Amino acid sequence: MSTERILELKDVTMRFGGVSALNKVNFHVNRGEIAALIGPNGAGKTTVFNVVTGVYRVTEGDITFKGESIVGMKRNKITSKGIARTFQNVRLFGDMTALENVMTASDVHKKAGLISALFGLPVSRREEKADRARAMELLEFIGIAHHADHLAKNLPYGDQRRLEIARALGTSPELLLLDEPAAGFNPAEKVALAATIRKIRDAGYTVLLIEHDMSLIMGISDRVSVLDFGQKIADDIPSKVQNDPKVIEAYLGAPADAS
Amino acid sequence: MINLRDKGAEIWEGWNRPTRILFSLVAIFVVLLLPYAGNYSITNILNTPISSYQAVLVYPVGMYVLMALGLNIVVGKSGLLDLGYVAFFAIGAYTDGVLGTHTGLNTYEVLPIGMGMAMIAGLLLGLPALRLRGDYLAIVTLGFGEIVRIFANNTNSIGGPNGITGIPQPPNFLGQTLDITHQDHFFWVVVFMILLVIWMVKRLSARRPGRAWEAIRQDEDVAVLMGVPTLKYKLWSFSIGAAVGGAAGVIFASNQLSIAPQSFNYNVSVLILSCVVFGGMGNIWGVVLGASILSYLPERIRFISNAREFVFGLALVIMMNIRPDGLLPRKKREHLSNEERAALKATRAALKQSKKNEKSSRSQEGANK
Repeated sequence: MSTERILELKDVTMRFGGVSALNKVNFHVNRGEIAALIGPNGAGKTTVFNVVTGVYRVTEGDITFKGESIVGMKRNKITSKGIARTFQNVRLFGDMTALENVMTASDVHKKAGLISALFGLPVSRREEKADRARAMELLEFIGIAHHADHLAKNLPYGDQRRLEIARALGTSPELLLLDEPAAGFNPAEKVALAATIRKIRDAGYTVLLIEHDMSLIMGISDRVSVLDFGQKIADDIPSKVQNDPKVIEAYLGAPADAS
Repeated sequence: MINLRDKGAEIWEGWNRPTRILFSLVAIFVVLLLPYAGNYSITNILNTPISSYQAVLVYPVGMYVLMALGLNIVVGKSGLLDLGYVAFFAIGAYTDGVLGTHTGLNTYEVLPIGMGMAMIAGLLLGLPALRLRGDYLAIVTLGFGEIVRIFANNTNSIGGPNGITGIPQPPNFLGQTLDITHQDHFFWVVVFMILLVIWMVKRLSARRPGRAWEAIRQDEDVAVLMGVPTLKYKLWSFSIGAAVGGAAGVIFASNQLSIAPQSFNYNVSVLILSCVVFGGMGNIWGVVLGASILSYLPERIRFISNAREFVFGLALVIMMNIRPDGLLPRKKREHLSNEERAALKATRAALKQSKKNEKSSRSQEGANK
């Protein structure tokens, strides 16, 4: 496996008033891997996503993407650099069709602006066509092409989650952040999702996912990092993390006789 | 409640291209003939009792439709609440007033300048204001609308409270005189402008800017995370809306020949916003219909003088209760292919049939008992 660190968090601290959501977190994702971020509720997992995508600005520390610091960069700029995400609670553009949802995201790398759209200049037409084709391709890749012309809000729940992934891929990211992609899935759907995530990795994307479902995490991830109370307590291959006493303690509490 | 817009769109999509073009041409032709409806006994129900019917068609009807279409880009398409839209109308009108009386420029030459001035004003207001959201943006725009009016009222070089008089009428358009006695020709110019704006909005809506606006309206935070440069597209939306308001202002000034600050008060902004909401935010045809009705109705019922405002308000309240999304709401329908539509129809038919069967079998059972 390649060892280029596509994303790296160096001593990242994120404070909200007196609360430290993240406390000197060091964390990285290697290019081409499926990395997982786990931890009990409130451990700061989604905060990591939010600081990486620019929703929050870190209080201290640095975040580099492909070796370049992205702290303080505008959110849409970070997206155009190659980081895309999904959301813990599905946040699609409900009144748009599935295809339009993906097209909106893939507009990020388009040149044609408002004027050329207004006058229907060739550049706009060409991009529009290419956009549509690419969006359709992505829907097929994720397996929801049959919903292309349906309004996002009318899709079945599972397909809404899949559409979120397709929309994130629409921005042509190098790093894909998945925030609890399996939430609310039944076991069969989880198996299918695992296959999809592997397929995404094999297509050349790097994946970082937050998940609560241990069997899914242990099955597909190359590396697992564990957060607890805003601190990283473990970072290793799944089988080792599984048996790490600190991790077990974070999830189940310390045995009574230990203290 | 049936969705009239969907029904209309379904019929429209069922037609082929020549039928669509033919229908559009006929519809435009009928609209162009509207100024003469008052002359014939069959259609003279449209006549306005006290004001001149043809003049009413230009102002308020035509002007309000034009402005509502402009405001619809801002409020309906991109979801930015603008309560000071009248400012851009005033800026357009004053540009025509000042340039028309002080320079040799005619109305058509002033038109792009007026639109440009309004656009610049929109940008200057938008740059700081569009960082705000929802109610805060509404308050800032409301303030801006009032500032422009008060500024005009207090600046003596542009007439102060008396405004500007003696604005030249536009030169002939395609050989047709445009003066106070030829409101029908004026109406045609307004219709031309309206068609231009509709074309522009439809064009933009179908492409990248339309998607960006739609995304911003639905969830701005997600839009920006999906790489949409939200500030840029909000500024575009704001300034295009402003330019349309400016164009309406120029036409208004050259039609009325005199303008005064009190015609640009807060009520106008609210009324135009009502037109957009009443007709159906985000849907062009709804907005056109809403603005036509809301601007025409008060003139039509002018004969009841004092009760006029009351009836108007009552009509608004009742309508918004019956159709809270407006007369013709934005699209709710999905783009279905012909096969899918056929499949849907088949499903519905099957459901109906099964219900019928159930009923008849039940009644038979009843008879057997």
